[in-house]
Amino acid sequence: MGKLWRRELLIGLAFLAAVALTFVFGYRAGRQAHRLRMEREPIRAWMSIPFIAHTHHVPVSELFAAIGVHPREPHDRRSVRHLAHDLNRPVPEVIDQLQRAIDAAAHKPGGPGQ
Amino acid sequence: MSEQLLAAVSQYGAPALFGIVAIAAIGMPLPITLLLIVAGAMTAQGALSLWWALGAASAGSIFGDQVGYAVGRWGGPVLVARLSSLLGKRASLDAMENRVREWGGPSIFLSRWLLSPLGPWINLASGTAVYPWQRFFLWDMLGEMTGAALYILLGRIFSDRVMSLYGVVGDLTWAVVGLAATLILGYQLLVGLRRLKPDAPGVQPKMKS
Repeated sequence: MGKLWRRELLIGLAFLAAVALTFVFGYRAGRQAHRLRMEREPIRAWMSIPFIAHTHHVPVSELFAAIGVHPREPHDRRSVRHLAHDLNRPVPEVIDQLQRAIDAAAHKPGGPGQ
Repeated sequence: MSEQLLAAVSQYGAPALFGIVAIAAIGMPLPITLLLIVAGAMTAQGALSLWWALGAASAGSIFGDQVGYAVGRWGGPVLVARLSSLLGKRASLDAMENRVREWGGPSIFLSRWLLSPLGPWINLASGTAVYPWQRFFLWDMLGEMTGAALYILLGRIFSDRVMSLYGVVGDLTWAVVGLAATLILGYQLLVGLRRLKPDAPGVQPKMKS
């Protein structure tokens, strides 16, 4: 009988832990989903310029121009890291330039931030 | 490493996606959910065809799963030991074998997309447990196609919010795992407590002296 009670106690504790897990992650998912449309997407080194342009609703040509690169035809899908390597510049510097171009585009009349 | 993989998918599209998901299905821990979401975002940008993305992701993962199953079933103890040592401990493989025998198809289906870290284990365990290959293939195909469609379409819909979406999906997966555990443990608790009641069948009431 004592063994059975101990087993039930353990299952009860595991049950409470599972309930807590569900609530914590459910709450976090809900909060993140709510902020999905409001938060600014970070620029990552693996992203290509067309990918970043699509994410931030900025013309691709503006971003290529901002970092001083002539895109390869027909689609230049080199990553930021690859471009930084080709330009012989550090990745954070290229990301900074792209971010500034995005911010500038957002402040233009009719830009993505308007 | 995941950054290079994401860059490869972004640059080379479907062939890179096929290769990476196949390697992950065999057992290498790679961020496949994020890769599928990124592939979905690329389909929205016109950089990758939706059908190519769905086909490459499904075919790659099914191929990798079949390799895992084949090693478990026909690879012999040396090869099984080698692959399972890459994945973890032998005890886990035994536990997965029991899970496959107990749950069969649903365990294969769910480990393709919802509980994906268990996928390579279930492949290997299905082989060692001599689970019928036709049934394994059917459940595997259904699960992998569900997973590929789910994450690629989510990426396509939220194509300008890839990283935030990945965060939501990660938390949501854990919430679903927690919910499943809550239901299973709640049921076990209920059954156990009923058994502990003094008037329950099989429990002897104490005799008064």
